This record gives sequence, structure tokens and C-alpha cells, in this order.
Amino acid sequence: MKMEWGSEVLVIFGRWNTKLLRQPIVIFFSLINPLVWFLLFTQAFSAIGGLPNFQGLTGTKDYTTFFTAAVIIQTVTSSALQAGIGLVNDLDSGFMDKMRVAPINKSAILFGKLFSDAITTVVQVIIILAIGLALGVQFASGIAGVVLILAFAAAFGIAWSGLSLFVALTTKSTQTTLSVGLLTTFPLLFLSAAVLPVKLLPNWVQSVAIVNPFTYIAEVFQSLIIRGFEWGVIGNALATILIIGVITLTASITVFRRKIS
Amino acid sequence: MSNVIVEVKDLRKVFAPDIKAVDGISFQVQRGEIFGFLGPNGAGKSTTIKILTTLLAKTSGSATIDGQDIDEDQKAVRRIIGYSSQEVGVDDDLTGRENLILQCRFHHMSKAKSEENVQSLLETVKLVEAADRRLSTYSGGMRKRLDLASALVSDPKVLFLDEPTTGLDPQSRQDIWEYVKRLNQKGVTIFLTTQYMEEADRLANRLCIVDQGKIVAEGTPKDLKAKIGADVINLRFKEASADACSRASQAIRGLAGVKEVGICPADLTSESGLTVLAQDGASLVSQLVKAVDGAGVTIDHLTLSAPTLDEVFLKLTGRTLNVIERKETVKSRGWGARRRAR
Repeated sequence: MKMEWGSEVLVIFGRWNTKLLRQPIVIFFSLINPLVWFLLFTQAFSAIGGLPNFQGLTGTKDYTTFFTAAVIIQTVTSSALQAGIGLVNDLDSGFMDKMRVAPINKSAILFGKLFSDAITTVVQVIIILAIGLALGVQFASGIAGVVLILAFAAAFGIAWSGLSLFVALTTKSTQTTLSVGLLTTFPLLFLSAAVLPVKLLPNWVQSVAIVNPFTYIAEVFQSLIIRGFEWGVIGNALATILIIGVITLTASITVFRRKIS
Repeated sequence: MSNVIVEVKDLRKVFAPDIKAVDGISFQVQRGEIFGFLGPNGAGKSTTIKILTTLLAKTSGSATIDGQDIDEDQKAVRRIIGYSSQEVGVDDDLTGRENLILQCRFHHMSKAKSEENVQSLLETVKLVEAADRRLSTYSGGMRKRLDLASALVSDPKVLFLDEPTTGLDPQSRQDIWEYVKRLNQKGVTIFLTTQYMEEADRLANRLCIVDQGKIVAEGTPKDLKAKIGADVINLRFKEASADACSRASQAIRGLAGVKEVGICPADLTSESGLTVLAQDGASLVSQLVKAVDGAGVTIDHLTLSAPTLDEVFLKLTGRTLNVIERKETVKSRGWGARRRAR
């Protein structure tokens, strides 16, 4: 049973990877996107690094170094949106019915897609980190820290994909899935510690940021890049990802099973 | 081993708020036959097929496939069925071969076994040459053939085909018919839905005529047509006027053996004419021509034919099969029922 599930996930994982490699334009834009973010924001807002307290609060006065975390989050969440889009396309084309008529586990259909997206995310984040390096970002936690960053990015990507899967399965609409994705991602990103350290945010934004999961994800990336291993921050991020993942993935799998039986 | 492979009893599917897509149908499919479901859009054909293939939950009733209850062990049912949907569920980014290998892998075949299996399937549907091209380059007929092949990877006992030739050109339609027949000769039981009476007539050993979620008739195509109990004579006149038509109609009505004379169409043209149902039409033709001649009307065109399933449907429901375009309220609720806009 477990063996079977594993091989089913692998087959579906392989399908999505092949599909992605056949779409060079999609790959091109998924790589250009972080580059644009990186250059646009860090060049336009480089003065933020010079704010009083910025170095005291973050450990660096280089805004590019600080903002690397935000670029990672933006990239991970926009890739996570694709999980739901891919599913809606399968529903529309009738391919989903083909999979559902086959004697495979329902959850394998979802996890094969999630793992494929996680690989994409890891590749994207490696590229972001390379661009960062080229822009002078230094990684305080070294190679081990970089590996941990990639692991967190992949795990957060999978957890956040659950939201897009849930919306996709509930609405069966590409438009809605995209809109809900963008409408949650952008406010959450700007109302978190990703763009500015919490203490520099206006008061009301601070109170939002404290309960905003993106804050804890941003902080773990910032911590690993700027300062090294801080176990409290790592623990917070791990807990955040687990909570998001359990909620969104349970919801999606439940909807997936219920809708079709 | 029971001779019945699909058994359906009092099956119902009600969509909220109160749309009875399938309204209490019962039938049996015999092992080795081609069983047809003929009816217009919205008759409940796709809904029935989706329930039998475990894609949709029924509201009530029961169904077994090769003795397996469709609700008890869905995986066991899925192992013995093949399904080709109306939407053609193929992946456009993959090649024909990759699509089929994927389906084999969904059925837990090894890579080597999959490749071997796929080669013979490609030969069956004559897609060997196009096998390594992406599906986005395939024509509608090729896609359908590949989809049919993908429904066969598991060597199913029962193959479910949902409107296998809807939207195809005549040549592709002929091809699909050939494959379906050949598969059936190899022993595969086939359940197919169609809105084309010609398709049902050509393929099905037995069929149900369905309308608005109910079975309105069941039998072999021959039996169903025999129930009409008459030949169909179609007449067109040189003089396309209502007066000529009604004079001819009067004259024919008096003849022995004439069962029914149709109504003269309001917009009489050279294309439309008078339909006469008659017992033993062939021996009546000469008298009929004389009678019409006697009424001072000249016949331009006359055809004598056996009744088709169209006439059967017309007689049973009061509507013709081909002109009906009902709003598909039910279909849009099914998963994957929307087609990608092309």
C-alpha cells in the first residue's frame, strides 16, 4: 500500500516535470520574475538600509541582503499558485477523470503535483540566492544554512500550495484561483516582516504582522542569511509551516475526496 | 460466471435543487455485447456513465460491474473498466506514447511492460507514426483514437465510451466504429452512449432509448424499428404548393395498407414533402403513384425506406432526435464537463 502510493506519486511527479520542461516560456518567466523583484525593490528602496535602527534591528545595513527573504517568499508563493491552476486545467481537459478512473490513490494525484512544484521552487530559490550573491549578499549560515533555506522554501511552498489547491477544487476556476492567490499573497507579504523589520512598521501593521505567518517565514530566511542559526526563529518557522500545511492540505484532500464520491 | 456483466437497478441521480438527471433506470448488459444508450443531450447518458465508472456518486439505486458493487470497492471496479470520456482526457504537452505509458503506469505496470503494451496499442489504433509527436499536433480523430487506446491499457472487461464520435468528421467516425467492432470481437463488453441513431444502429447489439433521465424503450435496433410496423415512403412533388400536397394526401389516404399520412409541411419546398407510413410499402408504390397522378399531381421524387431509430424516437417521445438542443443544465455540474475553449 505504502509502496504503491510512493510509485503513484512518482509517476504523477514525473508527468508534471515533463510538462514543465516542455514549456520554455513558463520557465523563462518563472526565472525572470525573481530577478525583476530583486532589482526593482532593492534599487528603488536601497535607502531603507540607512534608516536609524535598521542595522540594530536586522544585523545588516544592506537592504538587498535583507530583502532577499522577501524575494524568496514572493517566488515561493507565486509558484504555489500554479498547483491549483494545473489542477483546474486537468479538470477542464478531462484528464482528471482519466486519473480518477484509474486505480490510484486520490492523494497521490495531489502530492505528485506538490512535489513537482517543490522542485521548481528549489531551483528558483537557488537562482535567487545566486543573484543575491552576485549583488553582494553574504550568507552568514554558510552552505548548511543555504540548504536549510532551500528546505524551508520547499516546505513552505508545499504548505502554501494547499491554499491554491483548495480554492481550485472548490471553484474549479483558473480566474478565481489566481485572484484569491494574488489577493492573499500581496497583502500578507507587505503586512509582514518581509519588507521592513517589524519594529519599523506602523503600529497597526505591527499587530497584523505578529499574527501573519509570512512574518515567521521571512524572519527565518533573514536570520539564516544575515545572522546565522537562531534556533528560536527556526522553531517558529517550522511551527508556522506545519500549521499552514496541516490546515490547507487536509482541507484540499477532504474537498477532493468529497467532491468526487 | 454470470452472463450479466453490468447490472443496474433503479438508479437515480438528483442534482440540487431538484434536477432528476437519472430518474430510476434499470438495465442489464450481457457479457460480450455492445450495449447502447441512445438519447439527446441532457437525457442523462453521461451522468449514468459517470456513476458506473465511479466518477460520480449516485443518489439511490444499485449497480454492479462483474459482480462488484460500484460503491463497495471502487478500486476493484476501476481495475476492470476502461473509460473514454466525451472530453477526450489526454495531456496535450505529452506525446502519444507518453500519454499511453502514463496510463499504464496508473495501472501499476512496470516500465518495460508499459512500453511493450503501448507499442501494440499504438498499432491497434494506427498511431505508430505519430506516436512521438505531442498531442497538441494531433487532429480531433487522432486524439480520440489515442484516448480510446488509453482506455484499453488495462485490458478492461467493460469499456465505457461516452459519445465516442461526437464532433468527429465522417472518416474518423468510421475508423472509431471499426475499432469498437474489432475490440468487441476480441471479447470486450462495450457500453456506449450516443446521440446519433446511425451509430447506435450500426454498433449496438441491444440498446436503450433514453429521454429526460428515463429509459423509454429497450431492445435490439431491429426489434425497435419493427415496432413501428411500417415502411416509410417520402414523396416530393413537381408543384411545390400546399394545394397540390393536400390533394395528393387525400388520394393516398384512401388506399388500403396506408397506416398514416403525414401533414403537409407549411413551407412546402422542393426539399420537403409528404411522409407516408405504410405496411408492405414496396407493393403499394405503384398504386400510390397512380392515385397521386389521378389527383392531378406529378411526383418529382419518391423514396421507400425502412424506418430508422429516428422514427422510433419520434414515435416514443413526440420529438426528433437530431434537432433537439436542450440546455445542458446537468452536464455542466459534472466534473471535467467543461471543455477547454478551442
